[in-house]
Amino acid sequence: MASLSLPLSAAEPEIMHIDLNSCFATVEQQARPLLRGWPVAITNRLSKNATVIAASYEAKTYGIKVGMRLSDARLLAPGLVAAETDPPKYNHVYQQLVRIMKSYSPATTMKSIDEGIIDFGDTREFVNPRPLVEIGHEIKQRLRDDVGPWMSCNIGIAPNRFLAKTAASLHKPDGLDVIDHKNLRQVFDSLKLTDLTGIAERNQARLNTGGIFTPLQFLDAPAQLLRHQVFKSVCGEDWYKRLRGWEVDNYETTTRMVGRQYVLEQRSLTEDMIRSRLSYLCETIGLKLRYKGFCARGVSVYVRYETGDYWYERQAFKTSFFTNTDIYRNTLLLFNRRPRDAYETEIGVSCYLLEPSTRSQVSLLEEVNRELWLTEVVDTINERFGDFTVTFAASAPSKSIVKQKIPFGSTKYFELLCQQS
Amino acid sequence: MENTVKINKNVSIVAYYFKNAGRRLKGFPKLMEYEGRRVIFTETGLRHLVRKGQKLVHVFDMTDGSADYRLEFDTESLDWRLIYMADMNYGEPVATT
Repeated sequence: MASLSLPLSAAEPEIMHIDLNSCFATVEQQARPLLRGWPVAITNRLSKNATVIAASYEAKTYGIKVGMRLSDARLLAPGLVAAETDPPKYNHVYQQLVRIMKSYSPATTMKSIDEGIIDFGDTREFVNPRPLVEIGHEIKQRLRDDVGPWMSCNIGIAPNRFLAKTAASLHKPDGLDVIDHKNLRQVFDSLKLTDLTGIAERNQARLNTGGIFTPLQFLDAPAQLLRHQVFKSVCGEDWYKRLRGWEVDNYETTTRMVGRQYVLEQRSLTEDMIRSRLSYLCETIGLKLRYKGFCARGVSVYVRYETGDYWYERQAFKTSFFTNTDIYRNTLLLFNRRPRDAYETEIGVSCYLLEPSTRSQVSLLEEVNRELWLTEVVDTINERFGDFTVTFAASAPSKSIVKQKIPFGSTKYFELLCQQS
Repeated sequence: MENTVKINKNVSIVAYYFKNAGRRLKGFPKLMEYEGRRVIFTETGLRHLVRKGQKLVHVFDMTDGSADYRLEFDTESLDWRLIYMADMNYGEPVATT
């Protein structure tokens, strides 16, 4: 088979990547003007073992990074202000960003809560004939006007999504950069391998074994080497195209699993308390399933123990389900089989084998219909008066303990999450 | 360190100001009366909406220059509620580069 050989893409840079700077921390500083200038860390809980999920630029100057424990962060910056996540606030900024982006092109994709892509490919001629750099500066200004003066974003413009994201990370904060075939080599010359999105330590090690130590060497590597020796899959060819500015990341992902995990708030919870948390998780999953119009046929459950071990079991069922009762019943079936040699520290439930919901199908069995109608009525009440107004008695004690948190990555359930907050 | 005091009590907003925020003219609280004190807001941090069931609540993060205030306006009862105050006792701000 002939080896793939492509030149650098000479296409016009028409993909714009927009990334809000330290999103959650910046939004907190925007909301609370007195926090501006102080190191701020955002966590999902205000406990000392909580993980920092966003740090302001002031905090980053102290060496505070995302993923660090709050107690460690406080050691680095004694005056650190820790704030708990506030999803409705981030949703507001997210909606504003989407509105601004969509006013330029309908070909807008949000990659996560704080970043999105505008594909100007089909709108350059008639709708957006102005230079994209000018549009980029306008977007920055509109963000400041519509949300607040403290808001800033990085913008990258390039021929494909990967290079646009790379361009957006060149000058933080508040940068605007363009990468095209003319300056691609120059930009790569100034980067490390791990500066490239998707290349972390493991991929770096793979590249190193193929004799590739810099992004420029990566760019010059033949497709055959990347496919057969470095990545040993079609991913190698994707990287070959991606680095040259050809688009390979323009695809939509589908939901294959709906799940929820919870780190237990303390060791030695009683069996009833753990089941209460589990029941709450199952209700959340049921809510997500019905929100997306799915039903599931499979359940998987995992438990992590304080020893570091974890137990995991999954099972596919003959009939599909979407009611909270069914999810909890099937989950318990598996959960009761877990070993009980050590204290549990984390529990998780996922539903898989998803298919379009069959809830509009009336069953021949009266008791099935009754359960379905009950679920509909409970959902209607909860929609009217707020989620978990009507809940399992078992879940009630967990309602104030297990809080819905900001998810990384996907924004699939963001609206739902904001309703619950 | 930060000193956040949860209050969660109804307050009176006796003066408003209006400005073009985004697409339309929006109103913001300017003067609040709370326990005999008058607080003049000097800056709006963020204004966003929260749904509590079908009830819509406008949330305002305001500052008077010496403390941050979170106010909620209930669109059903038309009440203003002061949720918390956070005064700042942080020390010196960090020099940003």
